[in-house]
Amino acid sequence: MNTNSITHLNTSDMHSTTMRSAGQLIKRSLINTRRLPSAFLPTLAMPIFNMVSFSGTFFALTKLPGFPTDRSVNWFMPLGLAMGSAFSGVGLGFSLIRDLENGFYDRMRMAPTSRISLIVGPVLATWIRVTLVTLIVFGAGTLLGARPTAGVLSYLCSWIAALGISTIGAGWGLGLAYRFQDMRGAAIMQLSIFLTMFLSTAQVPLNVMTGWLHTVARINPITNIFRLSRSGWVNASDPGHMSWSNAYGGLIAIAVLSVLSLIFALRSLQKIDK
Amino acid sequence: MTSTTAVMPETQVVRSLSTAIRQTIALARRSTLELFRQPALVVPSLIFPLFFSFLGNSTFGKTTSLPGFPQVNSYLQFQLAGTITQGVLFGSVTGAAALATDIENGFFDRLLASPTSRTSILFGRLAGSTLFGALETAIFILVLLPFGADVAAGVPGIIAMTISGALIALAVGALMASVALKTGSSEAVQGTFPLLFILLFFSSAFFPRETMSGIYRTIAGLNPISHLVEGLRALSLEGFTASATARAILVPLAIAIFALLVAQTQLRARLRAN
Amino acid sequence: MSNSPIIAENLVRHFGDVHAVKGINLEVKAGEVFGFLGPNGAGKSTAVRMLTTLLRPTSGTARVAGFDVVKQADQVRRSIGVALQDAAIDPLMTGAELLALQAVLYGIPASVLKKRSDELLERVGLTAAASRRVSTYSGGMRRRLDLALSLIHQPTVLFLDEPTTGLDPMSRLTLWEEVRRLNREGTTVMLTTQYLEEADQLADRIAIIDHGKIVREGKPADLKASVGAPTLIIKTNIDQTEKAKSVLSTFGDLRPGAEGALGVGLIGGAALVTEVVRKLDEAGVHVAHLEINEPSLDDVFAEATGYRLEGADNAPSAGDNGDNGDEKPKKKSRRGRK
Repeated sequence: MNTNSITHLNTSDMHSTTMRSAGQLIKRSLINTRRLPSAFLPTLAMPIFNMVSFSGTFFALTKLPGFPTDRSVNWFMPLGLAMGSAFSGVGLGFSLIRDLENGFYDRMRMAPTSRISLIVGPVLATWIRVTLVTLIVFGAGTLLGARPTAGVLSYLCSWIAALGISTIGAGWGLGLAYRFQDMRGAAIMQLSIFLTMFLSTAQVPLNVMTGWLHTVARINPITNIFRLSRSGWVNASDPGHMSWSNAYGGLIAIAVLSVLSLIFALRSLQKIDK
Repeated sequence: MTSTTAVMPETQVVRSLSTAIRQTIALARRSTLELFRQPALVVPSLIFPLFFSFLGNSTFGKTTSLPGFPQVNSYLQFQLAGTITQGVLFGSVTGAAALATDIENGFFDRLLASPTSRTSILFGRLAGSTLFGALETAIFILVLLPFGADVAAGVPGIIAMTISGALIALAVGALMASVALKTGSSEAVQGTFPLLFILLFFSSAFFPRETMSGIYRTIAGLNPISHLVEGLRALSLEGFTASATARAILVPLAIAIFALLVAQTQLRARLRAN
Repeated sequence: MSNSPIIAENLVRHFGDVHAVKGINLEVKAGEVFGFLGPNGAGKSTAVRMLTTLLRPTSGTARVAGFDVVKQADQVRRSIGVALQDAAIDPLMTGAELLALQAVLYGIPASVLKKRSDELLERVGLTAAASRRVSTYSGGMRRRLDLALSLIHQPTVLFLDEPTTGLDPMSRLTLWEEVRRLNREGTTVMLTTQYLEEADQLADRIAIIDHGKIVREGKPADLKASVGAPTLIIKTNIDQTEKAKSVLSTFGDLRPGAEGALGVGLIGGAALVTEVVRKLDEAGVHVAHLEINEPSLDDVFAEATGYRLEGADNAPSAGDNGDNGDEKPKKKSRRGRK
């Protein structure tokens, strides 16, 4: 080994800030995405496949009386986005399990940086990936015939909903990963996200549903997020069309569920130390 | 072995045939037991399709009055054929993945090194999946029957549907076995899962072709899954007619024969390579 | 209170019913290289994970660099460098990227970050490989990068967890040299190893842990002297083992030998060998093999625990050739639970 001398550090200069640490963790997450695209492509392919197949297969739904839009793509594009961002979020849990299993995460835990940065960094990186997916899905949706009914606000609401769902998914995924530390956690993540999604207005609006599902979907907070996400894509005459009263339920659901799931992640991280 | 094997007396031919049957039964027993001893693999392929049919019934309950929809008493009745196909499809992947695992861990080589007949190995392996296909079909029908999924063809119809389910399992199992034999990798077999998923969603499994528009109707028409589903559906909606029975049995039978030929070819290719 | 950089008092850790660490007391003095020896599953890793804040003790206390590992975990983290046994490094990142990440997580000011990273890379001989992905590194290169990562924040206490397991002899010597130099520069080092030779070469003092307890502690020379008598090892037919044992036991305490062999500590010294052979012959014991060993750490270990350390025999010597550095040891249970 070389015998050079090493610059001496003045320990009083060393402050690890949450933002700087989070920034580096965002960078790492994005580097990994770029160098291992096979882990990212499914979260892009899924929303597009979902949008394309559902719009065509269930095209006749738009002919039901009271259906909020006559374009099936308008209806199913937000569903595709929601699926893609949910899985981007829980995908964070998958890569965390990898880090935990191979021991890389011990290094993170031994760093004198705030525990919050260990969670916030990767979540922010997910936002960047979700934004990319959202843009591509908007592009593909437009090609298939999706048309906004509230201009720029239509895109904005769907994007906010996508970010929200990815945050909720990320907190949930990270928390389960910290707790199980192996692939059992991954199975629970996928299953639970899948179920929660489909027990909402993911496929059809409340007024079309019958029976038990109507009850479940009405109280499922994800329904509020879908209302927000679709508010700029349903007909202007529909009661679900862009308005504050339609938006705030979704915003509150996002805020509350995000905070809860991130607290769950943080608590689970702290639990590893014990 | 002695040189007398050069000329095979007639009694020995008979004995070798009965040996082949005994071997097939032994291997079939193994593959069946193996499947049923792993409830973690079996249970999801029963639970998920049932969950989706109840979800679908509540989601699409009102769509049965749409133009293009056949005369049904509930969406569940329409959906029954789709549920069976979906369950059998995903169940068969499990069986084929087991074959790939046999190849990966060397069990297959041990079988090939033994004087077991080559055909016994293939049929023995597929027997478990086929039986499971029949069982799944019967379970789906019996569970959904009290909820309004009537089978117009009655008891003979249920029997025909069970046979059809077994044949679908055999057909899909043989196709997947070809993939397993070709690649020798259980990951490659699992990798076909998304492909099946796509085929399923671009078929008439969930919605009638008549309600679809343009290109989707064409794709669903070319999709073999549509024809598997529609054979079963004819039995549950039309009654025990000759044409319904023929469609339900002959379509999967034809695909099964084709798939078995492909699998035999792949098995021979693998034997040459060894 | 003593201001030694590592002090453990009655440290205990249970995993459910498994008592991995059963109350250990340790004091490592400033400027020491301290060797922590023990077989897999002895509680070594669990103890180190508690000292490095990765695991909370069930009971007992530990202070590292003057800070409590539970109540002042953050200060402990700032003061220690840790090179982990299985060199867990993200294979998709480059060496330089990982150093930058580590530097920021440890709060290295941006003004010196690049300079210090470059210097550390040069010091461990990875300047040329800095912009290559870690997946292309050999085992030895990974260990060196791991060392550079653990040094980025100028720690006063360095934990090295089995730093040379799986390395080829050359890489091993290079790492040893670097550890000696860091120690000369004032870093206190706690070294975990299963290689007795490594501990003998590097450590000022060692502790042997077995079944969750420290069974011996001291300077290698003192420990060896305490075993005292040289060990006579003989091999004989399996059916004569009992007879041989009774003869040998008249010369001193029986000691475990490598498999199939019998050992005895010759209290009267090596000169008694002829006497032993005569007595064995008289008893009708056929001796297939005979050797006499001066006391080694291996004997210390055997005397303390009642068995020989697995890995003591297969510790790569200079005779091994080829770079087998990529053969990582099988991943151990992440929680040190065994």
